[in-house]
Amino acid sequence: MVGDQGGGPIPFPVYHALLTRKYLTSKIMPLLAALAVLLCTAMVLITWSVMGGFLSMLLDSGRKMVGDVSIVWPNTGFAHYADLIQRLEADPAIEAACPMIETFAVLVLPDDRVQMISLKGIDGPSFSRVIDFDAQLYWRPLAEGEGLPKAVDGEDLREDKANWPTLEQILEGGRRLAQYDPATGEWVPALVLGIETGDFNQRSKTGSGVYTPRAQLRARGDGGIDVISDFMPRSGSVTIHLMPLDPGGRAIEIVTRRLPIANEFKSGVYDVDRQSAFINMQRLQDLLGMSQALRVVPDETGVPHNPFETMIDPATGREVHVPPANTVVDPPRVTTVLIRAADPDAPSTEIKRRAEAIYAQFVAAHTDPVTGACDVPGTGSILINTWEDQNRTLVAAVRKETALVLFIFGFISLTAVFLVLAIFWSMIAEKTRDIGVLRALGASRAGVAWLWMRYGLAIGVVGSLLGGAAALLVVRNINQIHEWMGRALGLYIWDPAVYVFTEIPAKVDPVHAGFVLAAGIGSSLLGALIPAWRAARLDPVKALRFE
Amino acid sequence: MLLEVSNLRKTYRLGRVDVPVLRGVSLSVHKGEWVALLGASGSGKSTLLHLVGGLDRPDRAGRPAGITAQGVAAAQGVVKGEPSRIVFDGRDVTAMGQRALDKYRSNDVGFVFQFYHLLPELTVMQNVLLAAMVRHGRVAYTTRRGELQASARRLLDSVGLSHRLQHRPVELSGGERQRVAIARALLNSPALLLADEPTGNLDKTTGGTIMSMLADIRRATGHTMLMVTHDPEVAARADRVVTLVDGRVVSSPTPRAGAVAGAATGGSGGPTGPAAPPTPGGPASGGGPARSPIGVR
Repeated sequence: MVGDQGGGPIPFPVYHALLTRKYLTSKIMPLLAALAVLLCTAMVLITWSVMGGFLSMLLDSGRKMVGDVSIVWPNTGFAHYADLIQRLEADPAIEAACPMIETFAVLVLPDDRVQMISLKGIDGPSFSRVIDFDAQLYWRPLAEGEGLPKAVDGEDLREDKANWPTLEQILEGGRRLAQYDPATGEWVPALVLGIETGDFNQRSKTGSGVYTPRAQLRARGDGGIDVISDFMPRSGSVTIHLMPLDPGGRAIEIVTRRLPIANEFKSGVYDVDRQSAFINMQRLQDLLGMSQALRVVPDETGVPHNPFETMIDPATGREVHVPPANTVVDPPRVTTVLIRAADPDAPSTEIKRRAEAIYAQFVAAHTDPVTGACDVPGTGSILINTWEDQNRTLVAAVRKETALVLFIFGFISLTAVFLVLAIFWSMIAEKTRDIGVLRALGASRAGVAWLWMRYGLAIGVVGSLLGGAAALLVVRNINQIHEWMGRALGLYIWDPAVYVFTEIPAKVDPVHAGFVLAAGIGSSLLGALIPAWRAARLDPVKALRFE
Repeated sequence: MLLEVSNLRKTYRLGRVDVPVLRGVSLSVHKGEWVALLGASGSGKSTLLHLVGGLDRPDRAGRPAGITAQGVAAAQGVVKGEPSRIVFDGRDVTAMGQRALDKYRSNDVGFVFQFYHLLPELTVMQNVLLAAMVRHGRVAYTTRRGELQASARRLLDSVGLSHRLQHRPVELSGGERQRVAIARALLNSPALLLADEPTGNLDKTTGGTIMSMLADIRRATGHTMLMVTHDPEVAARADRVVTLVDGRVVSSPTPRAGAVAGAATGGSGGPTGPAAPPTPGGPASGGGPARSPIGVR
């Protein structure tokens, strides 16, 4: 920026460029300085990308799994939900709403293992309007180029055309939450399990995210072992135990059903994929006693109806059951209504506010004393939450942890400043006579200082760009690198059970990357500042005599 | 008169002791004159050269540069009388600001050092062009690149190094390095060439060759030369020998009649050379070698 001649500053003297290039390419020391900048830049960018990717995936998955806002009344559920959904969908800010039942179930696997799962009863078509359920169904035919980008050739059996007819049927089964019975030609209600549930599938060791079914072993009563090979969802079935609750939250009786597996889903959230299953909503309503039913109410006299009362039919002369005189219809109930906003960028708090207002109108319109009569938000069991509310603790923790880790790594990266400073200090000692020569040729103090600042800039740019490229390379292949470390060194750092997601999430944010690269260049310039000042202050006569 | 030095004083501080190096040196150099500064080691001749070249500043009147009042008292008798002055071509160098001094070093003087001081990473050609790169900005240099490169080539050809343009200093002999340094010093066509023991690091034969070369150049271009040496034999080739002892001029004969004028005729190859009017900045008008290093201003 500052030149030396003509009575004023000379912009960008040529000797700066020449000497910067020569010093960069003829010495090992500047390469070490660039390496220090590279490592620090890459370290911070990888950390930020992983933590940022983790946070981003956490937020995305939260929205992906529960929509923008959910209205929940656990256990008992609420009636007239169709009306509520109609009212919600009439609001222009709401794209769609759907009912869902969520309950706990005990899952008995084919190899007799037992685990607790969250069972969700959904109505396929309406659920898909709120949640992209179809995209989460894992077993489906995949044409070339549709598969996971990092899959090794032949690794993903979904790309094998020989499997496509079966996979087509399995996909359709997943959509219907049913399995086709070739014997009867009917679709039988079935479960859609999380891909990690029961360890039926094995995640690829290449880090590509591909699952392959694996054989299961089951101990026989006679001491032998059955190998349940090639557990495709089509060929297996599981047992579920459900505990219906009465409106007072008391257990009625345990319901047990054996159900086939229609398909498996992969949300990418480990806990969800490991501990969740979907079932047809009406089927679950039946099993939980939440479907439409007649309820007997006392007559005007207040005398309870005797359910065993009989009478003689005058027409037939036979004894028949006396139906209760006063009955009411209990409408079907659900525990949850999920809402999707019309504008994906709309603040979920606004959707929540609208949902609360609509719910209040809905309550006012349904004052009938039926089971699951509605409550007012905040005064009873009803919970109206945004997806952020539901993940608030975890999101806040991840945000804090991201800030903390970045602070620590950023602080560690200050070493780059001192490394550049030390290396430049040493180089200036080595180049003292060159500086004396430049001064003798007419270079100004500022010119000499800028020469070294420019040199620092060059090292910063080279180090930062290479560091950015290295970080990009690592981030893009982080799961493969992790799997390789596991195979080669036995070092598995990412535990899906701890870190929520089955794969290491990593996403390079261009703004973050720009900031880190600029910080890398800045740290190099900062490191060069004091040595440059020292170079400028050198006495040319002493510099020329320097031994 | 190209250079007038009057009452030049310079004191260095060594630890807590002030050491006067120049104790009131006065000297005049005519245009085209070749003056040798002869003296033993420590006599102050290199310091005088650095001061004339604008690499260092003389003591200010009443106080040596960079030395405290206490230091002045310690250096009794060092700072007395008229202030130190260096006047170059009518301009007071001692009064110049830093920027003007940088410009002066770049435009008006050229240095040749005992240890050549070539930049090892650069080729011969780049070392010579470095002087122009420092002098000109990017635009000016780029605009005149061809002209400057042609001048550098001519200069290197005139010192017999046209076949070494892309070599690095480490691949050259001592004499060749010094020739590169001479070419670098001449590229900007300075009015005054300052040579600090130019043969001090060379054997006698090579040193003789370098001296002949300097004489040829001076004869061809009419450069004014101020040369520091401790060797009376080398000094004897100059037009005039100024002897320094302990920071004082003890012998400064007046220029020989016709010595200055003889520069341009090639007659100053020795102390008794013939005289002719100089043609500064131009080629030899006769009697000199055919080679004609042409600087670019």
